[in-house]
Amino acid sequence: MRRAGWIVLGAAVVLLPTVTANTYYLYIVASAGLLTIVTAGLNVLVGFSGQMSLGHAGFYAIGAYTAAICTVKLGWNPWLAFLAAVLCAALVGAGVAGAALRVSGPYLAMVTIAFGIIVEGILVEWIPVTGGPGGIFRIPKPSLVWSYVLIMAVAALALWLTRNLRHSAWGRAFLAVRGSDVAAESLGLSAYYVRIVAFTVSAGFAGAGGALFAFMNGYISPDSFTLQTSILFLLALLFGGEGTVAGPAVGSLVLTLLPELLTSLTDYRLIIYGGLLMCSIYWLPAGVVGACRSRQSDSSDQPPEPNRPELESQPVRPEPATDRLMEVEGLSITFGGVAALSGVSLSLGRGIQAVIGPNGAGKTSLLNVLSGYYVAKAGHIRLDGESVTGRPPYAIARRGVARTFQTPQLFIDLTVLENVAVGVAGSRPGIILAAMLGLPMEVRRDCEILQTSRVLLDRAGLGPWAHARAESLPSGLRRRLEIVRALATAPRLLMLDEPAAGLSPTEIQELDADLSRLRATGPSVLLVEHHMDLVMAISDHITVLDYGRVIASGTPDAVRSDPAVIEAYLGASA
Amino acid sequence: MILQLIVTGLALGSMYGLVALGYHITWATSRTMNFSQGQTVMAGAVVAYTFFVALGWPFVPAVIATLGCLAAFGAGIERIAVRPFFRAASPAWLLSTIACGIIAENVAMLTFGKDARAFPSALTQRPILMGGAGFYPQELLIPCVGFLLMAAVQGFYHHTAYGKQLKAVAYNPEAAGLMGIHLPRAVMSAYILSALLAGIAGVLLAPVLNVAATMGTIIGLKAFAVAIIGGLTSAPGIIVAGLGYGLVESFVAGYLSTGAREIIGFGLVILVLIVRPWGLLGAKPARRI
Repeated sequence: MRRAGWIVLGAAVVLLPTVTANTYYLYIVASAGLLTIVTAGLNVLVGFSGQMSLGHAGFYAIGAYTAAICTVKLGWNPWLAFLAAVLCAALVGAGVAGAALRVSGPYLAMVTIAFGIIVEGILVEWIPVTGGPGGIFRIPKPSLVWSYVLIMAVAALALWLTRNLRHSAWGRAFLAVRGSDVAAESLGLSAYYVRIVAFTVSAGFAGAGGALFAFMNGYISPDSFTLQTSILFLLALLFGGEGTVAGPAVGSLVLTLLPELLTSLTDYRLIIYGGLLMCSIYWLPAGVVGACRSRQSDSSDQPPEPNRPELESQPVRPEPATDRLMEVEGLSITFGGVAALSGVSLSLGRGIQAVIGPNGAGKTSLLNVLSGYYVAKAGHIRLDGESVTGRPPYAIARRGVARTFQTPQLFIDLTVLENVAVGVAGSRPGIILAAMLGLPMEVRRDCEILQTSRVLLDRAGLGPWAHARAESLPSGLRRRLEIVRALATAPRLLMLDEPAAGLSPTEIQELDADLSRLRATGPSVLLVEHHMDLVMAISDHITVLDYGRVIASGTPDAVRSDPAVIEAYLGASA
Repeated sequence: MILQLIVTGLALGSMYGLVALGYHITWATSRTMNFSQGQTVMAGAVVAYTFFVALGWPFVPAVIATLGCLAAFGAGIERIAVRPFFRAASPAWLLSTIACGIIAENVAMLTFGKDARAFPSALTQRPILMGGAGFYPQELLIPCVGFLLMAAVQGFYHHTAYGKQLKAVAYNPEAAGLMGIHLPRAVMSAYILSALLAGIAGVLLAPVLNVAATMGTIIGLKAFAVAIIGGLTSAPGIIVAGLGYGLVESFVAGYLSTGAREIIGFGLVILVLIVRPWGLLGAKPARRI
């Protein structure tokens, strides 16, 4: 069905110039092609990395004006000018992203809107270079048929590049950051950097579209690059289906053809656009393509029962644990005047170390400080002698510290296999251009990543679910997947935040067995847990927290009989 | 010259602040915003024009009727474009309110016409001359009304029971709900209040600017910029940012050019956000793991 759609679309595009010499039709379809190029790029930003831009007309403008200025004023070869346009837009995109992506939500929307308006303002005001409100004329312009062929080729290329990107380590990194930036950082990815890359790529696509727009028309002026244009880009993408490869093509085609079919209703154009936007938000939240796809996959059968697993430590990069792997000294943190941790010191070595304590004792806060999510008010954290105090989560993860979360943070847009693959690739998703072009070395590397992930999944008994969306996993298996994903980064230290919470008794037994196996072969483990039986059975060392202080520390037996611990748990001196 | 620029700056700035407070009010109660706030300003001007000029009503009933229409408009936006997507993970409300704005603008174009029209007012007949500068009484009236309204909004939130309820919703919607506050009604109230502020700004600005179907977009954008500069969560920050933005704009337009006004104004927004990512007085949202 999907392939048939592509073939029909491709055939229609190829045959059109042979069937009709009517320039009007060619012009309309070429316009849809231009829109496809821009929205395919916007898809990388919105559909993959989950960010929003209401200023892409600015990048479109930069592409168009760079191409026009290079050819008209500097007399460059048009191909060279095209390249310059793409590069220029991408560079500006990287700069804007650096500023914009420090914020999110409405703040991000504002920065992108402001960028678009500033570009538009500069186009009007900087008359010696941009020609002002009149724009630039006499841009070298191929015949319409050639423009058509060129634009269609680039549009096809754009879709192909985004398709390759989606199935590469970079594509998974984008979707991981979209699904849970917190979890992505725990695997070594800097969410900020990944989003900047997505923004840069999408700006480059917009620049390409802009350059071709200039060459097709032979004339450009600021009127084509307003906020409305940016909204149109976004609308086309959302209507077609963000996150899908075909979405940009479908959305662009519909939104270009529709106004042409309804020329008698020009006065109602905005109402039609607005109405279309409302309808798609109400009834097609995943766009036309998304709606078709979900109907198809509804019929897919449920995955079978898992075979009973063994969660071994995995073989990617075995790192010997040292006796003093992580040393923590005098750690304190407060939340609005409440001390969650005060003066906590501990030392992590080989084996399994557990942190227990009553609710609100500061166990999870401790874990969040150790993994870099909270910044301590005082104290030091050293990893193998190197200070990591105050370092961001991804930097700590890159030094071999992996973790899970109290509520599993899976990348819901990815399959189970891809979730693990994000962990395997870790902070090294490769070279993005090579991934987009599908170069052999990058494809080979990606195959290896996926194979390793597959092996890890099979060992954990999640093999049958490999191609299911992570969302569809039952909750016990979500925890398991999260542990597999964390282990996939080949950590020296694995921190588990209440891994037994919400598990059934059998599942807890399985977890017990898994942890024992990890103790034998795997990384050091820091376990924050409530289930006493589990903790007492498998821990080598236990630290007890109460009101943010260490009240006891030692072997399970010593801790069990410690009067301070008994008092903290039972509330009275025994 | 300087005096004139200051008066113009304060007049526009107080209006940006007023409209921006509208963004703040709905954001605080529901973490959503009406992105057609600019078109709401336009609706205020257009509807007031219709009652006052086209139908020839006396001024006071015309204004009251206008405010009634805007309250309905705000409630409608909330019901149609926001409530279905309340707390949805995606920013669907952002796009749906933009869609409402697009439609509203087109409707105004069809009914009111495409041309800009002057809004007659006794306060823009004869300029007052003062210190070598001349300005219309309306330009003095605008910041006065603006300040009064901003103070009234602050008073409403801090000193009335209902205002405190709305603040409680902003602080913790779930707890507020458990305390018996009707959440959807609180959100709708916020949207109505927000639309009223925008509408009043529209009525006040109508005699100074011309009334046109397309007048809203840029006012809405600048007010949004002001809300972001000030910090969406901070009303005082927004009021200060509004006045500051108005003054900067007026001085840039006076000494450089009107063309540079937008470039510098929005450039300032980006600069402020680079230095203070959550606005001048806004609070950084806590990271929850």
